[in-house]
Amino acid sequence: MSAIQATDLVRRFGEVEAVRGVSLEVAEGEIYGFLGPNGAGKSTIVRILTTLLQPTSGSGAVLGHDVTAEPTTVRRLIGVALQEAGLDPKQTGRELLTLQGKLYGLKGQVLGDQITEVTELVGLTDAIDRRIQTYSGGMKRRLDLASALLHRPRVLFLDEPTTGLDPLSRALIWDRIRELRERFGATIFLTTQYLEEADELADRVAIIDHGRIVRQGTPAALKAEIGADVIDLAVEERESGAARTAISELQANGDLPGGELRGTRDGYTLFVPDGPQNIAVLIRGLDKAGVRFGAVSVSRPTLDDVFLAATGGRMAAADQDGQGEDGQGRDQEPATTGRRAS
Amino acid sequence: MSAAAPDAGRVPGGSRTGEPQTLAAPAGLVSDVVAITGRAIRGILREPELFIFALIIPVFFFVVQIGALGDVAEQQLGIANYATFQLPISILFAAASTSGGNALVLDIAGGYWDKLSLTPAHRSSLVIGNLFGEMFAVLLYSLVLLLFGFVIGVRFAENTLVGSVGLLALTLLFGIGFAAVSIAIALATGSVRATQSAFIIFFPLLFLTPSALPRELMTGWFETAVSLNPMTYVVEAARSFLFGFDGAVIAKGFLAAALFSLLTFALTALAFRRRVHMG
Repeated sequence: MSAIQATDLVRRFGEVEAVRGVSLEVAEGEIYGFLGPNGAGKSTIVRILTTLLQPTSGSGAVLGHDVTAEPTTVRRLIGVALQEAGLDPKQTGRELLTLQGKLYGLKGQVLGDQITEVTELVGLTDAIDRRIQTYSGGMKRRLDLASALLHRPRVLFLDEPTTGLDPLSRALIWDRIRELRERFGATIFLTTQYLEEADELADRVAIIDHGRIVRQGTPAALKAEIGADVIDLAVEERESGAARTAISELQANGDLPGGELRGTRDGYTLFVPDGPQNIAVLIRGLDKAGVRFGAVSVSRPTLDDVFLAATGGRMAAADQDGQGEDGQGRDQEPATTGRRAS
Repeated sequence: MSAAAPDAGRVPGGSRTGEPQTLAAPAGLVSDVVAITGRAIRGILREPELFIFALIIPVFFFVVQIGALGDVAEQQLGIANYATFQLPISILFAAASTSGGNALVLDIAGGYWDKLSLTPAHRSSLVIGNLFGEMFAVLLYSLVLLLFGFVIGVRFAENTLVGSVGLLALTLLFGIGFAAVSIAIALATGSVRATQSAFIIFFPLLFLTPSALPRELMTGWFETAVSLNPMTYVVEAARSFLFGFDGAVIAKGFLAAALFSLLTFALTALAFRRRVHMG
């Protein structure tokens, strides 16, 4: 039995179709990364699968229980940390967890033990009796995570758990996510707009764009699908089209192998096999054609390249608040041998 | 991969054979309501400044009305004690201005409503608990104003204990109806500003009543409007607890308050269904 299953999920908000026929299956114990830019439909799908929102059509199930027909059963099985950690600032962390536990039917010693356990797990023991209004953003996220774990859910939905967090808090949350799977075997459905996060944590990744899943597989398989190395090239006077013409000619006369060429903000991205060898050919060819260029780098494909190949746009560019750029993109090494481990 | 929790065996409640369990178990509606009510009361007690603001206006009106009309009313209109005549208005005023939806709309706007909705708790308990919290606030306001009345010389014509309990019961029934209005607006709109504006309906409902003068002294359109307003009967019943128990007047007052609350509960239920369906 799958931990999570979605079949042809569609959700419309008036004229807008936020989710356009999404099907997916997550095995028990798996960490499933759901990757996409803001507005791609990630949170809507999470809200449907966690019973907060009904689909316009299609169905979803958690551990075999339909999310629309058996919402209460599903709620007992899942733990959810939503993107906006909605916490009552007037309560203390302990009061919030106690209330949460009672609503899950926990009481007495079990409730007390669980509060101690999850508080330790997220590193909030010292702050747990303080009012939540005194917590930092990272502490609120950790408390939200603790509250999602309180009843030992079998399936955990984490909706952008690290968005807006500093690198230290992000690393801490990552460690906790790994620990959850190792200690409790929990299935984790993780949405993120950070490519690096999906790459680090997820066993499998789905890339969602404009309400549709455009690629799905293990991070390694998705990157292998590209079947090539990636050469990034910054050119001057890009609008003249001289670089594109020169590269096309190199490909046409067989000096460079055929491969996809995509325009980027500063120049071009070229997908070719054996990048380190071909980058030399490229530079000589551009030089010969009199094209003035800046930094050139070669790297193994990243999930960003998978995203680019699938959607025609970069995650970082699609990310409106710019948070997708800190550390997710390919290393831009202005050298010809910048191969990165994948 | 196995999904077994290390000590899942201690978990109360069953699951399908061979499946690892979560710790979650049905808590029951009563337990859910008690938990949510406790949180609502805690929230009210943690904002004493709101408590003071809610009392300032009723006390101000109370004092000003007595100062402006007290002597005239007592000497010309034959009202034995104008402070006693005005105290129920002041108490009902405070009860109507609790704006019970404020806490709820902040939960909705801040995302805490979603968090609570993700638990297996009965969703109705999220509203009922808030209503009980508001009843607690209404009771506190009423007791403070009653005490203030005693200090400035208000007395019950007959049994003080019975009169006080009756007045508080009527005020609670009326106050919960008003709290339900703002809770309905909170659920329907999710808007903090709209919810905070709910008290506006209080003005026609409570001032188109015999708030300043007995109904017998009114004439024309105002008398007609006052007689059509169900709150008039609540005000008259509240006064009846102070000026001597008139069974018929009190019964009419409870009936009017109950009908008003039933209507507002129905609105709340509709708004609640809409909110749950909307997600």
